[in-house]
Amino acid sequence: MQQLRGPTGFTGVAGRRAMVTGAHTLLVALALFVTVFPLLWVFLGSFKLPADVMRLPPVLVFTPTIDNYLIVLRERFTFFFWNSVFVTCGSVIMTIMLGVPASYGLSRFRIPLKKTIMLLILGVRFAPYIIFALPLFLVMSELGVVGNRNALTFVYIIINLPVVIWLMRAFFDDIPVELDEAAEIDGASRFRAFLTILVPCAAPGIATVTILSFIFAWNEYLFALILSGRDAQTLTVGLTRFLGGMEDAIRWGQLSAWAIAIVAPVIIVSLLVNRQLRRGFSGAAS
Amino acid sequence: MRRDTRDAFFYIGPSMIVLMIIAAVPLAVALGTSVTNWDLHRPEAREFVGLDNYIRLFRDDRFTSSIAVTIAFTTVSVGVSMVGGFVLALMTQRNFPLKNVVRALLTIPMITTPVVSATMFRVFFMDPDRGLLNWFLGVLGISGPAWVASWPWAFVAICAVQTWFMTPFVFLISDASMASLPQSVFDAAKMDGATYRQRVVRLVLPMLRDPLIFAAIFRITIDYRMFDTIYVLTRGGPARYTEVLSVWVYNRALRSFDIGYANAGSVVMAVIVAAVCLLLVLYNYRKREIS
Repeated sequence: MQQLRGPTGFTGVAGRRAMVTGAHTLLVALALFVTVFPLLWVFLGSFKLPADVMRLPPVLVFTPTIDNYLIVLRERFTFFFWNSVFVTCGSVIMTIMLGVPASYGLSRFRIPLKKTIMLLILGVRFAPYIIFALPLFLVMSELGVVGNRNALTFVYIIINLPVVIWLMRAFFDDIPVELDEAAEIDGASRFRAFLTILVPCAAPGIATVTILSFIFAWNEYLFALILSGRDAQTLTVGLTRFLGGMEDAIRWGQLSAWAIAIVAPVIIVSLLVNRQLRRGFSGAAS
Repeated sequence: MRRDTRDAFFYIGPSMIVLMIIAAVPLAVALGTSVTNWDLHRPEAREFVGLDNYIRLFRDDRFTSSIAVTIAFTTVSVGVSMVGGFVLALMTQRNFPLKNVVRALLTIPMITTPVVSATMFRVFFMDPDRGLLNWFLGVLGISGPAWVASWPWAFVAICAVQTWFMTPFVFLISDASMASLPQSVFDAAKMDGATYRQRVVRLVLPMLRDPLIFAAIFRITIDYRMFDTIYVLTRGGPARYTEVLSVWVYNRALRSFDIGYANAGSVVMAVIVAAVCLLLVLYNYRKREIS
């Protein structure tokens, strides 16, 4: 559709077009406002002094300060941050190393009960986390590994492995089998062909599922809430400390700083690779 | 074929073993404990009680009401976000300045950490005295409610936050599918004098039927198990008005320590998952039969 630039008069067809354009711009602006403003407000809040954060009517002009970030850093931010980084990166790496070969296997081999296997994996993907998290808490208490970072990292595989297998299988299905066969005629073993030919071909897909997995693992809350004990608490669990209890008030400034520290990496990554992310999400749906 | 199976295990086996440990074992444990009266208050008095917990579940108002809350929450937030996302996608089909930047920004809520967005809305926007929402309503001369602490506003709040979180997803799917529609059909319809509304209702909607159904199914699978947003916003309260199934299980297990009973609830949820998956598969089969 061509771009419509409204003339000054609101008469006739041109006038109607100008009105439509105006209404359209207004609606898009409204949608954008509702989408972006809440986070922007928290972002601004993270640079405000305690007196300014919750003042009503809201203040838009204020003296910025980085105190909130400095205070947050003193309150063991790095402890939570490294737990998040460790658990997220560790689980994503393991998920990819497990999921990519598995999806290749499910794409290329004739195996009995393949449909059932795929269906069970789908079941895990759509199941509520709580039905795994609670029994895992019981088992892990028994083994004494609640609060163990390695154990939490291992559990986090469940978040992404099913998604990776489903998406990558579709990806491998689209790569012609002739490619594998050509490699085998050249004398390469099946595994060698997989590593040197199939994986590079699937690299764009692997990149997409890696980004998706990173986001889902980084944002996770329920498993961390139940299984992280005291020693493996992640950033999302740490955030709720600032909500205050019965006796102490909410510390809005620090809360904002902490919240921004959680979402900033995800938002930056998502804007940098927006195209891939879009493809990944629309793939994840089908 | 047999060699194939052995080779396949090399690739698939590790994943299956891991999923066995972190998915199948927990389910078995849930099933096993659901027939006991295990209570963390007195763990030594744990004995087999048969199906008592399941019978108790369906006599428990709180459980049946949490099923109702889950269904209501899912229906409202899926419904609103489907319409919203679709309309948003229609709006971005037109050209306007900075279109690609706007489209990228519109997807932000979807990747925002749910705990962060829930905290943000609860503290900065829905706080009854200091939140921006009630301040804004006050300016308009309306006295705003205690958002997350009163019925029905707590329910409205969880639906609204979930809608904010997931509308971008429907937008993204609709946008991607609209971009692949043949422009010539629309030009022809325009030549024949079809109005914009006719083009949307008679052309776009039917052509986007499959992606929209997929988006709806996917949305349902996200919402019926939602925990983070609701737990942070309301913890299931006030009373039990926003206690969806996931929160019900959590509250029974980790606030009342009624482990056996909570796990019986989990098992019922797992049965619901199986039903949802079956629905997905049936839909897929039907689609394949048609094409």
